[in-house]
Amino acid sequence: MGIVIAVISGKGGVGKTTATANLGLGIALNGKKCVVVDFDIGQRNLDMILGLENRVVYDMVQVMEEEANLKQALIKSKVSPNLYFLAASQTKDKSVLNSKKVEKLISELKEDFDFVILDSPAGIESGFEHTIEFADAAIIVVNPEVSSIRDADRAIGILDSKSAKVKNGEEVLKWLIINRIVADMVESGEMLRSNDILEILDIKLIGKIPEDKGVIDASNQGKPVILDKKSIAGQAYTRISGRLCGQKVDMKNVEISDSGLFKKIAGIFK
Amino acid sequence: MQSNQYSVKVFETTISDEQEFKEFFNINYTLFKDHLILIQGEMSDDIKNYLKDKKLQYLQNMNLPKGRSRKALEKEFKRLEIESAVTKQIAEAELKKLSHKLQNNLTVLDGMIRSGRELNIDGDLLLLNRVNSGATINTTGNLIITQVVEGAIRCNGSFMMLTASPKANIVFNNVEVDNSLLENRLNRVELKNDEIIITPVLKKEINWAL
Repeated sequence: MGIVIAVISGKGGVGKTTATANLGLGIALNGKKCVVVDFDIGQRNLDMILGLENRVVYDMVQVMEEEANLKQALIKSKVSPNLYFLAASQTKDKSVLNSKKVEKLISELKEDFDFVILDSPAGIESGFEHTIEFADAAIIVVNPEVSSIRDADRAIGILDSKSAKVKNGEEVLKWLIINRIVADMVESGEMLRSNDILEILDIKLIGKIPEDKGVIDASNQGKPVILDKKSIAGQAYTRISGRLCGQKVDMKNVEISDSGLFKKIAGIFK
Repeated sequence: MQSNQYSVKVFETTISDEQEFKEFFNINYTLFKDHLILIQGEMSDDIKNYLKDKKLQYLQNMNLPKGRSRKALEKEFKRLEIESAVTKQIAEAELKKLSHKLQNNLTVLDGMIRSGRELNIDGDLLLLNRVNSGATINTTGNLIITQVVEGAIRCNGSFMMLTASPKANIVFNNVEVDNSLLENRLNRVELKNDEIIITPVLKKEINWAL
């Protein structure tokens, strides 16, 4: 039996889908069997970021409506044989989901995979609620800015009240990813520090990802940034994937800029 | 003991002219024959004999207890009713004022109040965690929050205890509190004679060693 992880954020555009694609690939590269599911019905993006856009034949909704079986709909990644992808429907909307069908689909996926990663839609509507309902854990992606923090706070509140696990008296694991950190801005006090964010959200930190221009190009090309060994964001995703697979990976402080450190050292020799 | 209770009709008068009195009774005898005649003041033997002849019962110089009229009774009853309602109202208002000073319905919460949550507390609240931006807390009683507030607070009690919360929106008894006045680690906000008084409870002080 695998673990079901929902990737949520509340606010849109903070990097949920990018995180889902990279962590899924990172976990697969660690040798675990992983499936990433796009729950953003009507606005699917994950296929593009994974570079599997032209492979989609059947989608999740067709599986739930029993128009196709799960094996037909699962798309194998070009990069790792351990990674599979299940697409969202682009033509239907969120109203086609219902709890029983979602539960059936997730329990089937859980049997075959070590990790089931669900990419949640932005917002806190029914699509979001269905994503978190049967999740064992949630990865909350935030940007270091107040609007993202508040929306994430709201999403965590709903997770804590509507998840099936919580209703059974168990706890949903919650891990925080702080995405798009600009070290210079944190140092100058323009950007929220991770300690401030952790104090507000009161959940466990699983990783910090620095701002990296390479992410956009990687997404456009359909090659997740984790494959780029030189990318600082890719390295951060590699560290987080390792932690998710149970490895002890030291936290790298991405809130200190290299140039700042260089300047400090240079300052000594002045 | 066996007893009977009944009402009697009384004709009360004083005699100034004996002839006039006799004539009045001759004419109105049928009307007053069942009445008790009460004479206030002097009466002569002649009158006594006259009354005995007519077989009329009489009394002299007596103070009989008078019943009040129905209207007067109703009026009195209404007055008492209003009086008791007013007393009840005053008592309730006093109790309400007092109840805020008591620890009535104290709720203790230690969970974080996240964005989007709205707490409506009847009575006092002791909250041992943060109130995040986008959350709202309403209390009818007193409010004590030991950590930072970034959401909205509506307190209708007689006092609040709050930490310095520069992002909070605080309304105390329908008056907005300027949160820049909450500058200490813990502040007491009270309502005294329609005035809001903020006093520091724990000041940020350096405790120097000897």
